[in-house]
Amino acid sequence: MNGWTTEEVKESPEILEMLADLLFQLADDDFVLGYRDQEWLGLAPHIEEDVAFGSIAQEQIGHATFYYHLLESLGVGRADDLASLRPGEQRRNAVLLEQPNGENGDFLNQPHFDWAWTIVRHYLYDVWDIARLNLLKESRFVPLAEAAEKILGEKRYHRAHQELWIRTMAKHDTLSRQKLQKALGEAFGWVGDLVSFGRFQGRLEEHGVITSVEPAVRRYWVEVQDFLRSEGLIVPEVSSVMNGRLGEHTDALGEALARLSEVYRLDPSASW
Amino acid sequence: MAHLDFDVYEVFAQPDSMSPHVHVFNVLASSPDMALALAEENFFRRESYTNLWVVRRDHIHQLGFKDRDGFQKTVKSYRTTDDYKYLRDKWRYYREHPMRPGGGEASERVDD
Repeated sequence: MNGWTTEEVKESPEILEMLADLLFQLADDDFVLGYRDQEWLGLAPHIEEDVAFGSIAQEQIGHATFYYHLLESLGVGRADDLASLRPGEQRRNAVLLEQPNGENGDFLNQPHFDWAWTIVRHYLYDVWDIARLNLLKESRFVPLAEAAEKILGEKRYHRAHQELWIRTMAKHDTLSRQKLQKALGEAFGWVGDLVSFGRFQGRLEEHGVITSVEPAVRRYWVEVQDFLRSEGLIVPEVSSVMNGRLGEHTDALGEALARLSEVYRLDPSASW
Repeated sequence: MAHLDFDVYEVFAQPDSMSPHVHVFNVLASSPDMALALAEENFFRRESYTNLWVVRRDHIHQLGFKDRDGFQKTVKSYRTTDDYKYLRDKWRYYREHPMRPGGGEASERVDD
């Protein structure tokens, strides 16, 4: 199959529609998790970790920015508006990623965040995102295939970081181990829609925008299970409460969007 | 906190494969792996390098103050290359006068 350029995609409304839906999934995943990550700023377990995790947050937002600009180049809208002004029902991120960092998820008011949950959620995302980017490297949409290669480099560090923390918490003591196991139970309750590609999945595969999804998903679960079991953790059942890829979301997303766009909404035409 | 088993790790970085590892800073971490991960993300975000070492600070041993007096040497100019500069002139003389025994300013000084 011959590769598609931005101009070619813009000429076909049908192709543009399915490609934009995929790009929104990629952008919104990185964006909302990047937002959750940066809520930890100044609160991470110690100063070195604060810098390391802050930098992971920055990279998440950087990857989202790239996808929003790709959408802008396809004529979908201004990148900043796409990131800040789209309402929840238009968002395509997986619901796991929009969940707060702990039961008391307000970083301005007694943020009793949960580090084990944060790391477990991020780990599940990073391993999947690496699998997904490896598929996208072969994408028919050339700008996406080229970007996937570059983004993969940073994702590998993210993944190594989360695995290291899981290993550390799994062997440290009973309490850290219990917290990890509890976080896994909660994360697996949300994770179902993460590995899906929304309502255009079939067509995206037919057109070669993304291929071999099924085997990649199978390999993903084997990889995750093998790693968690090797750390002596019990792997819970995967379930799915709602499908973020179809625009279904929890209240947590609405709250996050209201806060992250608070300043932007004051004057969307302002030059930053 | 019940116990915090953190240690200071000294970080050494190698900018390229032909250069030695150079001490750059230290990090507080719970294991060598964590020290490596944190060093990378804290200090090498913008610079490139080919390798990193981390060493627990209490695994580094240094001389006591008294022992350092041994570093103060008496002058032994024959241990430095500067002391053999005259050889260059001597070699030049022999190249220029292959058949003549002795000669050259420096060698004359030595021979005489």
